[in-house]
Amino acid sequence: MGIATSAGFAAVSARAGEPIELAMEQLWLAGVVTPAGARLRARHRCRSAEGRPLEVIYAFGLPRDAALRRFRVTGEGFSVRSELKPVKEARRSYEEGLEKGHLAALAEQYRDGMMNLTLGNLRPGEAAAVYLEILAGVENDDTGFRFRFPFTLAPAYHGRARMADGGEIELPEDEFGDLVLPRWREDAEGLHEVGFQLKVSMPCSIREIGSPSHAIRVAYEKDGQGRVVSGAARNAPDRDLILDAHASGSLSGVLAGLDKAGRGRFVALIASERFGVARGRSRCLVFVLDRSGSMAGAPIEQARRAVEACLGAFSADEEFGIVAFDDSVEVFGATLRKATREHRQEARDFLGRIGARGGTELARGVLEGARLLGSQGGDILLVTDGQVYGTETILAQLRNLGIRVHCLGIGAASQDRFLSLLARKTGGLSRFLSPSERVDTPALELFASIGRPVATGVVASVKAPGAKIEIEPAATVFAGTPLAVFGSAAGTGEARLQVEWNGDGRMEVPFEIGESRQGELVRLLTGARLLAELESEAKRISGEVEPRLEALSLEYGLASRAMALVAVIERPGDEAGVLPETRVVPVGMPFGVEFESYFPAARTGMPRALQLGRAGKAAPAAAVAYRMARRASAPGEKSAELVELAAEIEPDGGMPGSTDHERILATLLALLRLLEEGHSLTSGAFRVHVQRLVAFLEARIPTLGEERKKIAAAVVEMAKAGESVPGEWTATQAANAAAQWRQIQRALRAAGRI
Amino acid sequence: MSRDARKSLAELAEESGVPARTIRYYIARGLLPGPLVAGRAASYGPEHLERLAQIRALQGEGLTLAEIAHRLAGRAGAELPAPTAWFSYPVAEDVIVMVKAGSAPWRLRRVQAALRSLAAALAQEGRSE
Repeated sequence: MGIATSAGFAAVSARAGEPIELAMEQLWLAGVVTPAGARLRARHRCRSAEGRPLEVIYAFGLPRDAALRRFRVTGEGFSVRSELKPVKEARRSYEEGLEKGHLAALAEQYRDGMMNLTLGNLRPGEAAAVYLEILAGVENDDTGFRFRFPFTLAPAYHGRARMADGGEIELPEDEFGDLVLPRWREDAEGLHEVGFQLKVSMPCSIREIGSPSHAIRVAYEKDGQGRVVSGAARNAPDRDLILDAHASGSLSGVLAGLDKAGRGRFVALIASERFGVARGRSRCLVFVLDRSGSMAGAPIEQARRAVEACLGAFSADEEFGIVAFDDSVEVFGATLRKATREHRQEARDFLGRIGARGGTELARGVLEGARLLGSQGGDILLVTDGQVYGTETILAQLRNLGIRVHCLGIGAASQDRFLSLLARKTGGLSRFLSPSERVDTPALELFASIGRPVATGVVASVKAPGAKIEIEPAATVFAGTPLAVFGSAAGTGEARLQVEWNGDGRMEVPFEIGESRQGELVRLLTGARLLAELESEAKRISGEVEPRLEALSLEYGLASRAMALVAVIERPGDEAGVLPETRVVPVGMPFGVEFESYFPAARTGMPRALQLGRAGKAAPAAAVAYRMARRASAPGEKSAELVELAAEIEPDGGMPGSTDHERILATLLALLRLLEEGHSLTSGAFRVHVQRLVAFLEARIPTLGEERKKIAAAVVEMAKAGESVPGEWTATQAANAAAQWRQIQRALRAAGRI
Repeated sequence: MSRDARKSLAELAEESGVPARTIRYYIARGLLPGPLVAGRAASYGPEHLERLAQIRALQGEGLTLAEIAHRLAGRAGAELPAPTAWFSYPVAEDVIVMVKAGSAPWRLRRVQAALRSLAAALAQEGRSE
């Protein structure tokens, strides 16, 4: 790699604007990802091409439920492991090492899961690598998981942030201490290279591993094992890595084994289908839409369409509200509205006026949603990119509202940690998408689950010698998302997990704790999750929280906001007292985020309005490739067509039409279309719509003549059986009604349904 | 300067309340001069302490580090202060409001909204008179 040459780029400089050599050459991710979480090793390779010692600062954000375990610094003739120390002590060790001319490294955590990895006294021409070991959580569903790793960092909104020319954000010191953020580069080409080689491990056979973010090559090995490597020759640090892994069937199972101390550890994943089906209750839901500038373009457009489609799944006696927020809050109606035809049309008009613009006062938006719901409670569906600093304050404001907040995150760089915590702390669900994916279908998928959980009041216990539940599981289970239970026992042997819910629901999961080394992984994942939860409770680490965090850090051997990792390496010829030149590793603006939404005068230092003759910039090759990948991976027209179809459903569950018979026919066609695309009464993002269409037809079938009654009843039976018949079910709606009935009849006959 | 007035980086950090890494970062960005003496006996004087206090104060005024670097360089006379661009909004025939360009977009929109209100209020006042 020719990065240590002047062909690099004019990046973060000692003095603003001064071209410099690149201090970090490569970030390479390796490790194993399982449905319980990931154990990762991120190699940061640094090299100084300058004539004086360097101090390199790399800023990054932790993934969801993540913590650093340790690092190792290697170079010519040395390989040294980090020590875990209280932050002040670690800083002192680092500074003393630096003062003596030694190579020193420090990994320190700040608010919002932000990290600074600092490598000091890198000699001219010297190369060194820091291998960070990271434990991270994954986003589970019933058949697999989504894993995200931040290869870049999203800029975010904070009311007191100072935005500097050329892509810098400075945060208030009283909240963020000496955290150094990178300079954001509009064009990530020429920055350090990122890459990955990961092992995926499932307890059953893998159906598919894919990535909406990167080109990948996958090798499926023995049952349940797969290897994923980057498929591109070179990747720029401008988006998260996202991997989706899905099993051939349900993922229910227990991962168990012994940790290093000989204690049994387990994590049980129980698919939601084992809790039964959702109870039908009237929905009370407020949509809270982020309209901040960073949502400009496709995200805001899709979020709007997602809400419109969800409105189609409401019945007239259900209630909804809409809140749009940036740095101010706009509400559709002062109170909740019944989902009547008129109100839904008014809501569509309201949504049509929503455009992306200001900052991100996320808490105000959600609080307004909670006010609309009032004392009766309910659910909020928050659609946001989550690009906001100071998340602990937001969590403190929202966790005790008694309202479930479900998060649909959008973005190329991860605020996944925050949104997953927000959902979990309020009893909701979270999903995070990349800009390459449609937002409307996942929104419908979330919508179909929320408001109607499959189990509430969930309580877990475990029977085995010395056993206990380490992390209380979610009290509510939603369709499509498994229950995760983390626990431990005295050692190996048989154990039984008991789960009770809804007063009378009960299941028992027997399992064996063997001597598998997976137990240590489970222990570390348990610790990382406990730390993430505790850290989310405090804006500042002091008083009561600091000793608790220290104790938890020490118990699990993981870094936190109270405990940092430090290493000092003595090399022959170290020269004391030489002041290293500080360099901050720049990162690329996350793909899909407009540079100008954060940095208005970035290119020239002049206000945007004064920039004359600004030429359009050709997209870098990687960006073009990514856009092509986006096209290839997007579900495409079919999905958009279904969303539009769903949005048309009337409050009584039928499709629109000028007469009852016309409506019945249109409803049959819509139902056949959804069934054909794999949506049924119990599965698929449009399952609520299928339920409503079926309910409408069942109520209206008696009004039909005998022959048509048989046809409609056969379609309803087919829907109940989760079956479909092929046909052109969308193109026929404008055609002659009698011909359409005959077409349905022919298709049903051909399928042997009548 | 007496040797007693000289401080190590650790002492400067302790006395100023600014972490040592931040001090190095400021030096690298040209906000703060390097040590008085390089090498093993690297030391810092009262001017460093004073400069750190200035930086803190200017940050308190809402200036970014880049702006502070220009401001401080201007005071020292070493180079011209950085040019500053301002937007001019004539909200009434006799009132012009100047807004510093380069604010965060959301802040500028807020200011513009306030200016619209002001312009409307002034216009209303003009009509009623």
